[in-house]
Amino acid sequence: MNHISVKNLSVHYDGYCALEGIEFEAGKGEFVAIVGKSGSGKTTFLHALAHFIPFSGEISAPKNVGMVFQHYAVFPWLTTSENIAFGLGGKSGNERAKIVSEHLKLAELGDKKDKYPAELSGGQVQRIALARSLAHNPEILLMDEPYGALDAYTRDKMQQWLLDVWATHKKTVVFVTHNIEEAVFLADRILVLNHHKFTKEFMVPFARPRHEEVKFTPEFSRLRKDIFESINSFEN
Amino acid sequence: MKRFLWFILPIALTLVLWEIISRSGFVSSALFPPPSKVAVALWGMIVAGTLLSDLRDSLWRLFAGLFVGSVVGVVFGLLTGRVKSFATALSPIIQILRPLPPVAIIPLVIVWFGIDDSAKVFSIAFAVFFPVWINTHIGARQIPQAFLWGAKLLTNSLAKIFCKVVFPAALPFTIAGIRTGIAVAFIMVFVSELSGASSGLGYRISVTHLAYRIDEMIAALAVLGALGAIADQLFVFGTRKLFPWIKFSSK
Repeated sequence: MNHISVKNLSVHYDGYCALEGIEFEAGKGEFVAIVGKSGSGKTTFLHALAHFIPFSGEISAPKNVGMVFQHYAVFPWLTTSENIAFGLGGKSGNERAKIVSEHLKLAELGDKKDKYPAELSGGQVQRIALARSLAHNPEILLMDEPYGALDAYTRDKMQQWLLDVWATHKKTVVFVTHNIEEAVFLADRILVLNHHKFTKEFMVPFARPRHEEVKFTPEFSRLRKDIFESINSFEN
Repeated sequence: MKRFLWFILPIALTLVLWEIISRSGFVSSALFPPPSKVAVALWGMIVAGTLLSDLRDSLWRLFAGLFVGSVVGVVFGLLTGRVKSFATALSPIIQILRPLPPVAIIPLVIVWFGIDDSAKVFSIAFAVFFPVWINTHIGARQIPQAFLWGAKLLTNSLAKIFCKVVFPAALPFTIAGIRTGIAVAFIMVFVSELSGASSGLGYRISVTHLAYRIDEMIAALAVLGALGAIADQLFVFGTRKLFPWIKFSSK
């Protein structure tokens, strides 16, 4: 049973074609990564899945969607715990406090609960962003280059943290990145987006739980190279 | 201590220079009284109680006008900034009223409201409205889409999105608008008290002019100037305390 099913999806902006005839499926609890060059339509695809923008075609997906953005991920005027509590308006005070404290722990930010985002590091802010989305308990999670602005070291740590979180929550994830290594390390399946269409699909064979070491295996390098060539086989 | 010295030294030097020039005989000391005479006049006004009652009346008008003008300006700014139909319907009216010098409406306001406080509060509120509205409007227009999309996924309440996302996202602009509004309010409280008032610092300045009490006139002007500077600093201090994240994010 597919959790997300997309048929013949097209998105046009003022006469410009951003996505054309996209077909896409994702199973429940699957981690799918989408890679491609800038301007290939990766972000547009996520925006269509979240129903942020008008599109033609058919998208069948749960209504309860969470999203993590690269920039403006959290509200700068709210503290860490206020950001996490933002989507919990319908809950009682006790329940809300419980969910917030659980997700503060998940984000490893218990001691930073009263800090504003500007007082935290980029990695910490992105952990709040994911914790805020998960606190709302979405069925699918869309992530738009969440670690694109982080330095390499923080990025590696965040990837490992994300895998640990995902292993416990098992959400269906659609993860957009231009970093092939990140996609191979995180995903079950990788789709290459070229010129507004998915042109190739790769299955990631590595067992879970995955750790840093897998990145140094020949299989990892080979898969990375194949994906790289697949992206570059299309000239802009 | 060093900073305090740099702050106080120019003021002290100006006063000394002023005192010397006034007493030198080059200028008429009746037209240009020395600061020592102004200080005596100020003390006289304090003792007589007129300064306190003038201050009280002027400040009450100022804050009432500032409050009403700011609240209406923020509400309209958020609405015209975020809701297309509001922008289409209201912007032409506001744009026609905006170029009017607020001082020019005072005679009309006196005809409408008479000469009591409501006329003055209205004039001040009218003048404060425009800088607050236009800044809030611009602030509300430039909110990053990701904030609004993110909020929409987390709540269905439009009121919550307006209060907890749109308002704070526009707030740095709103605050800049209110700060301009404070300066405008000081101009308006003075001008509105020049005619049709029987108390307030503006009124005091206008009657001392008639009585040819230049020392009292300068004393009242000094109080008005000091008040404006204090109000601005208090506002900056207050916004930093209330909204610490604005200071942090501008780092």
